[in-house]
Amino acid sequence: MASFDFAYHVMWESVPVLMTGVKYTIIITAGGLFFGFILGTASGLMKLSRNPVVQRIAGLYIESIRGTPLMVQVMFLYFGLPLALGMRISPLTASIVAISANSGAYIAEVVRGAVQSIEKGQVEAGRSIGLTRSQTMLYIIWPQAFRRMIPPLGNQFIISLKDTSLLVVIGMGELTRTGQEIIAENFRAFEVWLTVALIYLAMTRTLSYALQRIERRMSVSEGI
Amino acid sequence: MIRIENVHKYFGALEVLRGIDLHIKQGEVVVIVGPSGSGKSTLLRCINKLEAITSGRIEVDGYDLNDKNTDINKVRTEATMVFQQFNLFPHMTVLGNVIIGPIKVRGLSKAKAEAFGQELLVKVDLADKSDAYPRQLSGGQQQRVAIARALALEPKVLLFDEPTSALDPELVGEVLEVMRNLAKEGMTMAVVSHEMGFAKEVADRCIFIDEGVIMEEAPNHLG
Repeated sequence: MASFDFAYHVMWESVPVLMTGVKYTIIITAGGLFFGFILGTASGLMKLSRNPVVQRIAGLYIESIRGTPLMVQVMFLYFGLPLALGMRISPLTASIVAISANSGAYIAEVVRGAVQSIEKGQVEAGRSIGLTRSQTMLYIIWPQAFRRMIPPLGNQFIISLKDTSLLVVIGMGELTRTGQEIIAENFRAFEVWLTVALIYLAMTRTLSYALQRIERRMSVSEGI
Repeated sequence: MIRIENVHKYFGALEVLRGIDLHIKQGEVVVIVGPSGSGKSTLLRCINKLEAITSGRIEVDGYDLNDKNTDINKVRTEATMVFQQFNLFPHMTVLGNVIIGPIKVRGLSKAKAEAFGQELLVKVDLADKSDAYPRQLSGGQQQRVAIARALALEPKVLLFDEPTSALDPELVGEVLEVMRNLAKEGMTMAVVSHEMGFAKEVADRCIFIDEGVIMEEAPNHLG
């Protein structure tokens, strides 16, 4: 068996190229979570609606996304849908749409859970001083629910960031794909995958640190 | 001010209110007592339409609560509720709790609402706590903030749902003191309470409810 020599320098040399992949990973994650949050908030609140039709629409979206693998969603979106619609979409667009739709379904459940966890007395207190249903939601329930959402939301953010690696299947040049391309040239799988992993770790650590800071700041503003 | 006529309320098959008639006049303090599960809190919540009645009629300040044209948010500002568990908004300061109603419902400017809010906090003896958050306060202090929050709407009636039941015994007095002063000022009040001493001293009338009906209605000769 050939002896394995760890080529430390390969790690450093691959970093500049990997950074072009990091750029796309960040763009897709940020875009996907931005739209995913909007989508998730809307469908989470729709699920709490008193109108059963509105509830069903949100339920259908959430269930179909949660019940199918992200990789299948991505391939359907990029390879399948353009055939039906007769128009091509770029890998970047497909990626952002896929991450948005996917994270939105999970964020919807986070939103619904957080809103439902606020004590019934809060709604009653809001309504009894004459606030309307939507004012009570906006000024009383939402700010409290949002605080409770931060830990599970942070969890979802990290999952979505890592999920972008699945986008290699549509040839999106994000971090994982960039790693694959480097290995295709130098065959240094150990060093390059290790570097890729460390870069993901650095990104997820930064994200969870930022979320911890936000959480701490919010609890200060409740006088804890 | 409040006119309740033949009110029935069911929770599923359970009839909680079985034909209640009650009139509360302006300036009157009515204390409602009765064993737990007798329907007294439910009755109070119906006046605020936090529960809808099954049949009968409730009028608050001339508004029929069952009338589709009645703006329930308007009625609620005329009869605001003080809850057993205070239900303060934990993400707002004491002053924030008091002024949100005047700003969002009455349309007062922030400056005017703050000035008015401070006045009310003086009234409930919490002027120095305006920047504190609810969880930094004792139960008695929280309930006094809740009273100030209700008063901030300048309601015609205050509804108290067991306002001292969640308090440690030594904190009951400070809340009753505030309520006593409101009664002296001529505030119309409907109070569900177990505080018989308070009822004796402050109530114009005492209503005994059991199993969803008014068993006894006694004008207070001692007060």
